[in-house]
Amino acid sequence: MAERASDRVVRLLGMIAFLDRHEGASVDELARLFGVSNQQVMADVDTLWVSGTPGYLPYDLIDFDFSSYQRGVVRLTESRGMTRPLRLSAREGVALVAALRALDAGLGGALDDERAQVVRSALAKLTAAVGDAAGTVDVSLTLAAAPAVASALATALREGRRLHVRYVNAADVASEREVDPIRLVTDTDRSYLLGWCHAVEGERLFRVDRILSARVLDVPAEQHPVPPGGGEFVPGDDGALVTLHLTSHGRWVAESTPVQEVRNLPDGSFEIDLRIVSPAWLRHLVLQAADDVLDVRPVSVAADVAQVARAALAAYGPLADLPADALVQDGGA
Amino acid sequence: MPSPIDPAERLLNLLIALVNSRGRMTKEQVRASVAGYADAPSDDAFERMFERDKDTLRELGIPLVTVTDAGHGDDIGYRIDLEAYALPPIDLTAAELGVLTLAAQTWQDRTMRGDTSRALTKLRAVGQGPGATDLVAGLAPRVRSGGSVFAPLLDAAQARQVVRLTYRAASTGEVRERRVEPWQLVARRGGWVLVGWDQDRQAPRSFRLSRIEGSVRVTGEPGAFPPPDPDLVDRALAAWRAGPSRVATLAVLPERAEATRVRAVDAPAGAVDWSADPQVAPVLVGRDIVHVEYRNAWELAEELVGYGDAVLVIDPPEVRGHVLSLLRRAAELAPEVTRG
Repeated sequence: MAERASDRVVRLLGMIAFLDRHEGASVDELARLFGVSNQQVMADVDTLWVSGTPGYLPYDLIDFDFSSYQRGVVRLTESRGMTRPLRLSAREGVALVAALRALDAGLGGALDDERAQVVRSALAKLTAAVGDAAGTVDVSLTLAAAPAVASALATALREGRRLHVRYVNAADVASEREVDPIRLVTDTDRSYLLGWCHAVEGERLFRVDRILSARVLDVPAEQHPVPPGGGEFVPGDDGALVTLHLTSHGRWVAESTPVQEVRNLPDGSFEIDLRIVSPAWLRHLVLQAADDVLDVRPVSVAADVAQVARAALAAYGPLADLPADALVQDGGA
Repeated sequence: MPSPIDPAERLLNLLIALVNSRGRMTKEQVRASVAGYADAPSDDAFERMFERDKDTLRELGIPLVTVTDAGHGDDIGYRIDLEAYALPPIDLTAAELGVLTLAAQTWQDRTMRGDTSRALTKLRAVGQGPGATDLVAGLAPRVRSGGSVFAPLLDAAQARQVVRLTYRAASTGEVRERRVEPWQLVARRGGWVLVGWDQDRQAPRSFRLSRIEGSVRVTGEPGAFPPPDPDLVDRALAAWRAGPSRVATLAVLPERAEATRVRAVDAPAGAVDWSADPQVAPVLVGRDIVHVEYRNAWELAEELVGYGDAVLVIDPPEVRGHVLSLLRRAAELAPEVTRG
């Protein structure tokens, strides 16, 4: 896809500002700095070279040292007054500051002192530059890991070492596994460890709050190819298709679950289609959302969930029928 | 016919012209002198091009000001406010730029992602070299998108402009037009919430972005209301915030719910001995008593209900009540099958 003109203008201005502060920079260096190809840097230099003030005669134009450029070094000789670095727009400032604050507050357990210090100094410098307008957005990240687990995961990721973990899956079955950690994905609700699981010889996503314990092994983690989007739970097409009919209050289900399709119905309720890999996971979801679930298809899934619910109600025995406050007692029976 | 000039090149030339012009430039001067505008085949095409370019410059944070010349009636000119143009001095190390790169990638929302990547380009221009991202390698923080209403609401909150929105109330499902002074956007439990002053109800309110239908319309001028009173913001947010930490008592089947057991705490001082309670004692047979800390009764209930009969909530009644009510609703999803 073609780059947006606005993004390119910002880079063109950024290059002038950077080159004004440095005695020349190689094309390679500029490409690395701005995260573009060498060809793009050269195209940008060509554009800058013919830009300037109206009239566009030679002395009106931005200029570079030609002989340096032939050696692959970009050296600015005329800036046409464009050397001021561009300030951040209100939204740019607030987006970065809010994200940094969330990193500072939420990822603490996964950063060692040195890294935590870098986050804080970047936050302090940025806040000083953009002011306090950042209060309009408040994001939080939830690591949701026991401190010992968080620190083991962070160490393994940083040092590229294998982990031994005890993990309990959605079906409540615990197992011991060796995992080469790839990425720790943290969002507003919880975190996942994307890793290569040696037990199944494949890439797996582990919910960090279900990692019971983690130990860093003295074995280097092997490199495994991972798609850049890895860490997003995307069920394959082979899972069974289940449809949930939900009340309008159940919108959060559609927002927090990878759904295949959402169909809005005229009465405000809606249906979602899900591909189910783990029946235990679906059972949990339906129980959790039971207040908002109007119907589940196929019928066999509804019957399964209802059966689990009845078994649990039975286990509560007399407790199930007590009024909500009947057990509040003072100091024993 | 020469090939039309690249829009980025035209924008750059417009900006250079405005920065270097003494005083202001009128639209006519721009059309006649700035490279790229002569390409416009008609007056209309030029107007559209120029309007779009002005909007783009402003989106980038460039302070483009409109100046009216008192002597010439409606003769409008433009200039750049150079005082407000420049980034204040900021000296970022490679490690700090690396952390900022991670922060920029946190946003999953496309608009916000575009904003943060442009912000990074601006900051790299004054940094000490490419960002060192190896410092934070392996970390992938994510903030979910707030949908198409997020960016307009954020702009309105920043500019303190009133918005009109169509909202589906959670309690009644009723759809109504609301006029809101937007204060703050808060990410909670995977969803985004707008906190603001509801002008119709004359009270602070919070709105889930996912229940806003259609688009958000900005009405009136910027600066229409004062910065919100922190106490009011706090009160409106109370419903989304976790309460004080409390301890729940659970009866768990052996070797089950390890993810919950791993968070177990000691029995709080003065804990009730439930095994002495004649009503509760039979329920505890063959189960372990586990105490866990929680802040939000609903969240804990939603976690525990998933274990079915493996985890029973003994105390507090509030959490038990939530679990039981979810179980009763779930039991109604299908009739009991009687084996004959």
